[in-house]
Amino acid sequence: MSAVEARRAGAEKLIVVPYSRVSPAAVATNMILILLGSFFLLPMLWMVFASVDSNPDWAIKLPTPTLANFTDVLGRADAISSFRSSLILAGTTTVVTTVLAVLAAYPLSRMHIPFKRAFMLAILFASGLPVSMLIVPVYQMYVYFGWLDSLYTTALFLAASSLPFAIWLMKNFIDAVPAELEQAAAIDGASTARILRELVLPLTLPGIAVTAIYTFINAWGAFIIPFVLTYSPDNQPGPVEIYNFMGSHGLFKFGDLAVFSLLFSVPVIVLYLFMSRYFSGAFNFGGAVK
Amino acid sequence: MLSEVRFEGVHKIFGTETAVEDLNLRVNAGEFLVLVGPSGCGKTTTLRMLAGLERPSYGRILIGDKLVNNVSPRFRDVAMVFQSYALYPHMNVYDNLAFGMRARGAAGSVIAQRVKETAEVLGLAQLMKRRPSELSGGQRQRVALGRALIRQPQVFLMDEPLSNLDAGLRVQMRAELSRLHERFRVTTLYVTHDQVEAMTMGDRIAVMNSGRLQQVDAPETLYDNPANIFVAGFIGSPRMNFVRGSLTTTRGVAAVEFLGVTTPLSSRAKLTAEAADGAVTVGLRPEDLMWRRAAPPESTLTLSAEVDVVEPMGHEAYVTAVCAGETVTSRFPPRSGVRTRDRIELALNPARLHLFDARSGNTILQRPVAGGAELPRSVGEARVDESEEGRSERQREPHTRSAQSRAEEIS
Repeated sequence: MSAVEARRAGAEKLIVVPYSRVSPAAVATNMILILLGSFFLLPMLWMVFASVDSNPDWAIKLPTPTLANFTDVLGRADAISSFRSSLILAGTTTVVTTVLAVLAAYPLSRMHIPFKRAFMLAILFASGLPVSMLIVPVYQMYVYFGWLDSLYTTALFLAASSLPFAIWLMKNFIDAVPAELEQAAAIDGASTARILRELVLPLTLPGIAVTAIYTFINAWGAFIIPFVLTYSPDNQPGPVEIYNFMGSHGLFKFGDLAVFSLLFSVPVIVLYLFMSRYFSGAFNFGGAVK
Repeated sequence: MLSEVRFEGVHKIFGTETAVEDLNLRVNAGEFLVLVGPSGCGKTTTLRMLAGLERPSYGRILIGDKLVNNVSPRFRDVAMVFQSYALYPHMNVYDNLAFGMRARGAAGSVIAQRVKETAEVLGLAQLMKRRPSELSGGQRQRVALGRALIRQPQVFLMDEPLSNLDAGLRVQMRAELSRLHERFRVTTLYVTHDQVEAMTMGDRIAVMNSGRLQQVDAPETLYDNPANIFVAGFIGSPRMNFVRGSLTTTRGVAAVEFLGVTTPLSSRAKLTAEAADGAVTVGLRPEDLMWRRAAPPESTLTLSAEVDVVEPMGHEAYVTAVCAGETVTSRFPPRSGVRTRDRIELALNPARLHLFDARSGNTILQRPVAGGAELPRSVGEARVDESEEGRSERQREPHTRSAQSRAEEIS
């Protein structure tokens, strides 16, 4: 008998139904979640174990501890250069995307623009398009312009592909800043430049940070675009390098692969922790309105 | 510097909606004018047009002698207090207060001095380092006020500044705002939907409804001589009672019949030109409709009624009764002992009647202004209806004729 039925049956006798009853549905749900989680966690566990194992292989096993894999990877020029490439690629993409997203999102948030809704929907649609769909014509275009095998031109396409979502994200952050604040500042005598500098930018800083970090993480992990648009070993970013570890080098060096993957994940983990602080509301508009 | 504000034939149209229609209003220099009306009546739009946040569709807005239709907010020299306060959340109280002066390029020492003075006037001196999120509602309100005061603008604009405060604080701030206005005498346009704020704070009150200005007058005048049914019903709590009546004139003597009684009209009141025999709406303020036993001798009319609801307020009680098929509210002394279904007698002073045209809703009975010789503090500029204006002006007291001539000066 459920609580509602109990109440219907007779109000004089209250039947308390315990909240935490272990039902088959709850067991099944948790099993599925554990299964899905393990798909993600087991490879990471392997990565950690194998990176410090003197004799790693496919299996997840307790390591025979060594730091040899680390010294090996850090001594490899291609590993170091791929970090450099990834930084240039993701950094350039992030700067270009964030600046353009802020500039595009502000008027989209604040001004009356004809067909704004249609434009925003087009942006949303564009952000859902798989990039690999476009990769062949883009390759042809890059050949035509002579832009192949440059990290900066590759970053341009990465920026173009990440821009729609970044604009959408940024617009929502700017929307959250009450328009009355800007109106109050305008009546106070502030110019548009001052309003942007002293009001909009400080108040959307968390949003800008989130947009930048999100873009950076995506560009850091981008594989297909740099794989197609760059070819010289010096310009191979991390994900392409990992692929090279696995494929064309013939022999698997599990230890090196694990170390490289581990090191390559570190910036993402750090940025994620940083971003989660913003997402959990470390900053809000308390006291601004109401 | 004292500046007057004028709206001349101002319209504001949003798409197909007319928010403000043909607004002609003058806020005198140094005056505290309250713009009051129900939600969506166009009062906030009017304020925002004066601030420069909305552009009028037609008409002229002048601050002093300067046409400001196309002047951006930052060059209008007005200060505004928003309903939401709109404090800058990332700045502390000091920086919130200083923002406007910095934006206008004032010297640092001048800013520091003025922030200090303003903070002292408003009792904010201890809170300078706090951010808005660390302040109480009343403190935020004062910071918002301070941000407007510090600039010493030509005009203050206030958009329901007290509506987010709790009842006690609202009464306190109401008095504080009045004191500040007494002290600085800055021309103020104050928007509210609260008739108590309007009555207590305004030098004059402008009542708006559905985008049209209904009446502008001093609080007492507005209360005693509402221009139409809307104003009569909006100002005063509990609301004025409206009952069906009929007007008859026999040998030059007008009499009105309502709630089963007939009474000749007071000789001191004048019927307007619009008045015609036939159906009228009779307005009775609850305080004029008294319990027979507690009524003064001039309440000569007696009505019989059956009590429906008794609402004791402590110092008085509101009794809703059914009288000749109509429901009316009257103001009773406390502890009258009257209960639901009791038969009671109500008393009414016929000189306190209000009469309105049954179709147009305009007043057709001009009553003498309360206090006899005392003139209202300022003149009325209301337009009830374009075609009526000439005729009704003639019927008014002498002081309104000067309004007519002043209106001609303006145009």
